[in-house]
Amino acid sequence: MTATSDQTSPLPESAGMDSPLSAALVGTRRFFTKAGISPDQRSMYLEGGRSGDSFYRDRWSHDKVVRSTHGVNCTGSCSWKVYVKDGIITWEAQQTDYPSTGADRPEYEPRGCPRGAAFSWYTYSPTRVRYPYVRGVLLEMFRRAKETHGDPVVAWGSIVQDEEQVRTYKSARGKGGLVRSTWEEVTEMVAAAYVYTVKRWGPDRIAGFSPIPAMSPVSYASGARFHELIGAPMLSFYDWYADLPPASPQMFGDQTDVPESGDWWDAAYLIMWGSNVPLTRTPDAHWMTEARYRGQKVIAVAPDYAENVKFADEWVASAPGTDGALAMGMGHVILREFFADAQHDFFTRYNQRYTDLPYLVTLDEVDGEGGDAPAYRPGKFLVAGDIDGHPEATSENAMWKTAVLDSVTGEVVIPNGSIGHRFGEEGAGRWNLDLGEIEPALTLYGAHEESVEVELARFDTPGGAMSTERRGVPVRRVGGRLVTTVLDLMLAHYGVGRDGLPGRWPQGYEDPSVPATPAWAAEISGVPVEQITRLAREWARNALDTGGRGMILMGAGTNHWYHSDQLYRAMLVLTTICGTQGRNGGGWAHYVGQEKIRPIMGFQHLAFALDWVRPPRHMNQTAYWYVNTSQYRYDTFTADEANGSPGAFGQRTTMDLLAQSVRLGWTPSYPQFDRSSLAVADEAVQAGMPAGEYVARSLKEGSLHFAVEDPEAPDNHPRVLALWRSNLFGSSAKGNEYFLKHLLGTDNAVKGTQAPPELRPQSVAWPEEAPEGKLDLLVTLDFRMTSSTLLSDVVLPAATWYEKHDLSTTDMHPFVHSFNPAIAPPWQSKSDWETWKVIAKRFSELAADHLGTRTDVVAKPLWHDTPEAMATVHGRVLDWAEGEVEPVPGKTLPVLAAVERDYPAVYQKMTAIGPLMAKAGMLTKGVKYEVGREVEILGRRNGIVRGGVADGQPKLETDIQVADAMLHFSGVSNGHLATQGFRFLEQRTGTELHDLSAEHEGKQITFADTQAAPVPVITSPEWSGSESGGRRYSPFTINIERLKPFHTLTGRQQFYLDHDWMTDMGEGLPTYRPPLDMSRLSGETPLGEQTESEGRSVALSVRYLTPHNKWSIHSEYQDNLFMLSLSRGGQTIWMSDVDAEKIGVKDNDWVEAVNRNGVVACRAVVSHRMPEGTVYMHHAQDRLIDTPLTETDKLRGGIHNSLTRIMLKPSHIIGGYAQLSYFFNYIGPTGNNRDEVTMIRRRTNQEVTY
Amino acid sequence: MSTFLWVIVPYLTLAIFVVGHFWRYQYDKFGWTTRSSQLYEDKLLRIGSPLFHFGMLGVVMGHVIGLVIPKVATDALGISAETYHFIALAGGIPAGLATLAGLAILVYRRRTTGPVFSATTANDKVMYLLLAVVIILGVWNTIAGSLLNLGGHYDYREGVSPWWRGIFTFRPDADLMADAPIGFKLHALVAMALFAMWPFTRLVHVFSAPLGYLTRPYLVYRSRDARSGQGTGTRAPQRGWDKPELTRKR
Repeated sequence: MTATSDQTSPLPESAGMDSPLSAALVGTRRFFTKAGISPDQRSMYLEGGRSGDSFYRDRWSHDKVVRSTHGVNCTGSCSWKVYVKDGIITWEAQQTDYPSTGADRPEYEPRGCPRGAAFSWYTYSPTRVRYPYVRGVLLEMFRRAKETHGDPVVAWGSIVQDEEQVRTYKSARGKGGLVRSTWEEVTEMVAAAYVYTVKRWGPDRIAGFSPIPAMSPVSYASGARFHELIGAPMLSFYDWYADLPPASPQMFGDQTDVPESGDWWDAAYLIMWGSNVPLTRTPDAHWMTEARYRGQKVIAVAPDYAENVKFADEWVASAPGTDGALAMGMGHVILREFFADAQHDFFTRYNQRYTDLPYLVTLDEVDGEGGDAPAYRPGKFLVAGDIDGHPEATSENAMWKTAVLDSVTGEVVIPNGSIGHRFGEEGAGRWNLDLGEIEPALTLYGAHEESVEVELARFDTPGGAMSTERRGVPVRRVGGRLVTTVLDLMLAHYGVGRDGLPGRWPQGYEDPSVPATPAWAAEISGVPVEQITRLAREWARNALDTGGRGMILMGAGTNHWYHSDQLYRAMLVLTTICGTQGRNGGGWAHYVGQEKIRPIMGFQHLAFALDWVRPPRHMNQTAYWYVNTSQYRYDTFTADEANGSPGAFGQRTTMDLLAQSVRLGWTPSYPQFDRSSLAVADEAVQAGMPAGEYVARSLKEGSLHFAVEDPEAPDNHPRVLALWRSNLFGSSAKGNEYFLKHLLGTDNAVKGTQAPPELRPQSVAWPEEAPEGKLDLLVTLDFRMTSSTLLSDVVLPAATWYEKHDLSTTDMHPFVHSFNPAIAPPWQSKSDWETWKVIAKRFSELAADHLGTRTDVVAKPLWHDTPEAMATVHGRVLDWAEGEVEPVPGKTLPVLAAVERDYPAVYQKMTAIGPLMAKAGMLTKGVKYEVGREVEILGRRNGIVRGGVADGQPKLETDIQVADAMLHFSGVSNGHLATQGFRFLEQRTGTELHDLSAEHEGKQITFADTQAAPVPVITSPEWSGSESGGRRYSPFTINIERLKPFHTLTGRQQFYLDHDWMTDMGEGLPTYRPPLDMSRLSGETPLGEQTESEGRSVALSVRYLTPHNKWSIHSEYQDNLFMLSLSRGGQTIWMSDVDAEKIGVKDNDWVEAVNRNGVVACRAVVSHRMPEGTVYMHHAQDRLIDTPLTETDKLRGGIHNSLTRIMLKPSHIIGGYAQLSYFFNYIGPTGNNRDEVTMIRRRTNQEVTY
Repeated sequence: MSTFLWVIVPYLTLAIFVVGHFWRYQYDKFGWTTRSSQLYEDKLLRIGSPLFHFGMLGVVMGHVIGLVIPKVATDALGISAETYHFIALAGGIPAGLATLAGLAILVYRRRTTGPVFSATTANDKVMYLLLAVVIILGVWNTIAGSLLNLGGHYDYREGVSPWWRGIFTFRPDADLMADAPIGFKLHALVAMALFAMWPFTRLVHVFSAPLGYLTRPYLVYRSRDARSGQGTGTRAPQRGWDKPELTRKR
């Protein structure tokens, strides 16, 4: 070997041994082994000795991997690999095969979170429901009764007619005693109860509840289809969860439509406002990190140092519930600097075309106080029919065509696209946002003839009561009416003055005395003036520079308040006037309980059995429980007191307003009438009249009433409730203790008092005693024990998400993928679809003897996206009960439809696609579809039913068939339908749309496709955004780019709402409303005060918030061993170290929280990241884990909802007026829960008992 | 009785010890561990554990000298009784005390550190008790017998040691133990109890002391060995999954 070759050696010299000692020791090994030792002594080469490998290799070996996902309430909709070994589900891992988002942007993969990764624990967990269970006392009663009577229906009747027995089994609810039964016996009992209830009380005395279909629509559809076929209402969820932002229907005429998380990447400026992205949108949070690499500026608005704050460039620490003031403060700056003092083409063009800012509003004179100049109040939108002599004044729907002033001609003109163009023959081809030659004037200022003072509402006092003050607007006279534009009103409302206008104006940004200056906002929210001003400027400037790429992520932190609609409207002013709506990377992103079931059309038609019977019975759940858990009786205030709007509703209570809303057909209400809807149909036949006419006459005469007018009467309250995929009593039941008391009739902790005589509703009967235990039967299908199963009379074992076929979609990503069974449902569990089939079958058998075929009168509210939405001209409330108008079905009454219920054929109908699909087609969001082709395809795929009522119809027997049918009947998954729908829409808009889906016209996504991999969906008229060409989804891009109107009165994004109730409540324009003052309304101790009582520790009054939990998805996972280990485990309340100090609480101490609604007993988590004065009890911590008896009443502690109750806001039950019209989960009163307060104290005795 | 204690019991102990380890190794390979608690606590362990283990090495050496090497051998080497005892005491007492101190620290740690105590099984507790008693008795015998001369003079090299060697040469002689002081007898009996329990405790780790690490090269490569019927996997072929014979064997 030569020196040269050494130098060219590619190998570096050996590092040698570590030390002479190592060298000496290790150097001896070569003498004692046959293995090769490297020259430098560092390596040894052995052969064999690897048999031990098999141990760890076996640990990770498996027989198969099955694609599935996690259901119901998780918006992540992540696809997972489920591993099975020896027939046992062993673990799960994240799928990685999401379709690419394209070049130059991050991918959806990775998706998943620790909760999902812990799911397989449930399969074999101790909390798994393995067999059908019935409460022992009830089962004994049923067996005895069946022995006596033979017929199960008669047997059930004999139990519920016997007061003694009824009291016994109802008061035993929630106290254990569930015993194992058999499927046969349980289905018979449940079916008997259903048949008996339909027969004795009517089908609308039964209700079904299952939430959020997007993450398992087939399971949702299983029970929903059964309930709708028998005529029982399905209860809504989106409004009930307070996830529905009423501002969306109010402003956009759309339930909710938001960008997918991939579109965050497109934003240049992003505000997370009350949305804790890494905590509640864990799988999508990576986009936030990635977008920051792109230079995005990120702001976090949160009262606490929340997890998402660490992503942010700036933390805006606003006080809880004051976000509306903050948004208005920012709005003030933007309106001042970008609208009043300067104008920008980008903003002007956008607002002229896409918002109602240029629309003309009539001003009504207010009875002047002596000597003052006359004042005016913003009134109704000026419509064509108002203007005598206008060419459009006599056109079709003239009262539904809003007007602007053309700044070129100075004429009042009627632009295309208002609701008046949407329906009727004349509007064909004119329902679009094409302004033609019109140049709408955003403001009258400058060209105005005069200016007047208008009265503007403000609510910024601690009690939240309305006061008014006057500021001037430029006006013009049109046919004897004084009008101004929405922008002029908004400028006055936001305190943005212009030279020469009268009234009280602020002196500048630093003047806190007048809304909505930054100083005013700073006083309320605690955010510095400088920060408010700077953020506002950055926001608007960014919109100009990027063409509207600014986004606000809004979350439950801002959306769960009583006045969240107002709060949201104030935030949406920012996104909308700055032209960010309808852009990729722009606009609002409402991430609260998304329930975007992308194949919505197929889902709706199958789930609500619209293939067999129309209309369905859809009920808003908030009102349902407000009435049926008697919570309205605890409203110790009038509607005006609650809303701080003196004079809006006189002495009427919220319950009065609900009754009015129901009788005017605005909002649904079931139970429907004060007798069975089947009986009413029979009466109509006897009277020889069509049902609608008979009901209208009887209502007018007073021989028939709505059930809501006497809700405590035994004839009028619900009797049977079925829950599946739902944990009502552990999760969403606002006013949990009222449920336990009035609905279930068992132990409860209600402390509130009922309204005194002068505060009771005037139009609703008031028996002195409200019944306790209204419900005869509560059935829950679940795979794990929850608060709901513990309270249920019957518990049925359900298949988990790894044991059934289903679909999953979300709005966070654009894919549809599937659930698949990794194993067959173990023990005696069944999938929801199979369970409801079994019940339907037994029901149909029993119905043959007891029910037969009946006619049912369905009262359906006036629907959005139909001509029914044009029922109330000008939003002027005229009540037939007051004699102001005639009761007319579909106009001043609900739509009244007589439908056939063939009860013995329910099972046959449930398992076949009905004839209405081919005959009547489908209608979704005002777009009609012909689906004869799809019915034929499904008939060939699934086979045809022979004989019976469904003879010749396609079968619908298995869960896969249901999933496939949904995909065939939806535009997002069927290119033919999407294109057909766009072509239909083109006839109305006169613009080109069908090219959006034409690229996919031949594409049909099948269930098999979703089993192979997540599949991207097709652009469809079911939604408002375009995904054509693989683009990221952002809402309203079709509206903005293709000039398709919004589904509102003006056809534009609408800031001003001129319905009587809205303007009377002072909410015509977005306004800051403080959280409800619970000490004034309900006598709670004022916030921050402490009380002491004999033998008890000091108690402190604090704001009580129930945000989402890091270690659970609602109540799911919080009982999971892995999540219990990661978190503190068991119920906890988080509080600040400052508050803890005041009442002597140390971390992990037992505390008790008490208010009029109930009691919570749990451990305290003391953390400096909490703000003073506010406690958090993370939402949906079930009562099953570590919940002791309370010191207050020695009963088991409650859940988070034991301290809340339903507060129904009247503006949410407006109906029959353009976008303020009902549709299921589209609009409805929110089950808000953020305004509550509680007393909290350390438990005197820290030794708790169970 | 004497025969039972000093002949039968020793062989029983031996049998349990040997067969027990064999059994444990066969059926509980994954349980063959010290169950280290270093993760839960390391400050006390850092002092206590070396003290105990190195002390124990000294103790073992002392026993080897005392029990294995017959008196005749040292006599033949010309080591006087005094010299022998000096060596024995000079080595034995520090080693014994170090072991005892180490054990005290470890037991204190085990009791007072929550997580360590939680990880302590009943088996451990019995084993610790036996271990402690054996060590205390051993140290006592050394101190009492040789240093303080309590209870008269006793030369274990004429009694206990031949008896012990007799066990292994299959010439057990119970009489050799007859004159031993009670302390020695108890020490031997409790030690036998400990040895009988040994295979079922964490003490098995004595046989897995990583001595090889001292001389092991840093990297150990293990290539697959050829096993019939096996392809590329590392597992032995499973029954019923034999690969088909594609070429006929001649």
